[in-house]
Amino acid sequence: MKNKNAYIAIAIVCVILTAAITVQIRTMKEENSAVSIIGANSELKDSLLEWKEKSENAEKDLDKSLKELEKIRQASATNNNNAEEKQNELKKYNQLLGLTDVTGDGIILTVSDSNAESTSIDLSNLLVHDTDLRNLINELANAGAEAISINDERIVSTTCITCAGNVIQINGNKVGSPFVIKAIGNQESLYGAITRPGGYTYMLKARAVQVEAKKTSNIQITKYTGALTQKFIETSK
Amino acid sequence: MMGIAIVVGCILGVLIGFITPTIPYTVSQYLAIGIVAALDSVFGGIASNIKKNFDMKVFISGFFVNAILAILLTYLGEKLNVDIYLAAIIVFVGRMFNNLGIIRRYYLGILSQKKNKNKQIKKEETDN
Repeated sequence: MKNKNAYIAIAIVCVILTAAITVQIRTMKEENSAVSIIGANSELKDSLLEWKEKSENAEKDLDKSLKELEKIRQASATNNNNAEEKQNELKKYNQLLGLTDVTGDGIILTVSDSNAESTSIDLSNLLVHDTDLRNLINELANAGAEAISINDERIVSTTCITCAGNVIQINGNKVGSPFVIKAIGNQESLYGAITRPGGYTYMLKARAVQVEAKKTSNIQITKYTGALTQKFIETSK
Repeated sequence: MMGIAIVVGCILGVLIGFITPTIPYTVSQYLAIGIVAALDSVFGGIASNIKKNFDMKVFISGFFVNAILAILLTYLGEKLNVDIYLAAIIVFVGRMFNNLGIIRRYYLGILSQKKNKNKQIKKEETDN
């Protein structure tokens, strides 16, 4: 009797076992195509994270070495009068290049994707594109802006603004809506240039994109965090 | 008798497995570890039956508790990003081989006994 019970129990476990194995095999067969895609995706994600970490580390290293350089410069400047002059010159040029944090009066322009219902046929009209940012930067520079940044990405001589799918790349870094454009310069002329009738913000507003311009004093604009390197150019004689 | 029970169970299981719907992919890895636990239980059950110390309570509770612990370990491993389920698989498969060894020795013993008997019978025949 005891033996019979044992056989029944083993048979029941066998039923569960084989049922589970069959279900598992069928699931794996069904999901096989999807699985490979998921695997590839996770690999890509991993490598992306790795590279991001590397780039962050490199940025930190750059920051450190820049600080060291600054220290060395100051140390050498204290010994020499001539060097101090050079130091000031260096600072001025760095500021011109956009390699220093700067403050000043100017305007802050906030541009974000429309949240209107998509009544228009072209959904693309409701979004802020790279060309929109380029045109706004152009307007600001034309009005005499001395320093411009978008979401803390400083606009320098090598800056490029490109479309990267659902985000925009500035200086190789991804930024997304809302875009906060800070510009330092003559407040009146900057504000006038941005809000003038028929200007670019007029066109943006016609597309239901949200644009808001504000005159602000003591705007902080951070420095360009990348490296400005030149491999191919030489000073012509 | 044992063989019949296992074969009938397997056939029934395959039939049930074809009827039930497939499960989502994320759950399938838990099911896989459960299968390994169940396989271990079956081997353990057969081995203990041979050794004549089969206990229904031990068998059933071992089946469920082992499977649940293995699934929990898998879940924990996924949260900690450590493949802990490998430890469960190693233990289960190791025990499976142990039990298989017991079963193998038992049936080999029966075989050799039969052979010896045959030889004895033949010897007796030739002696006569």
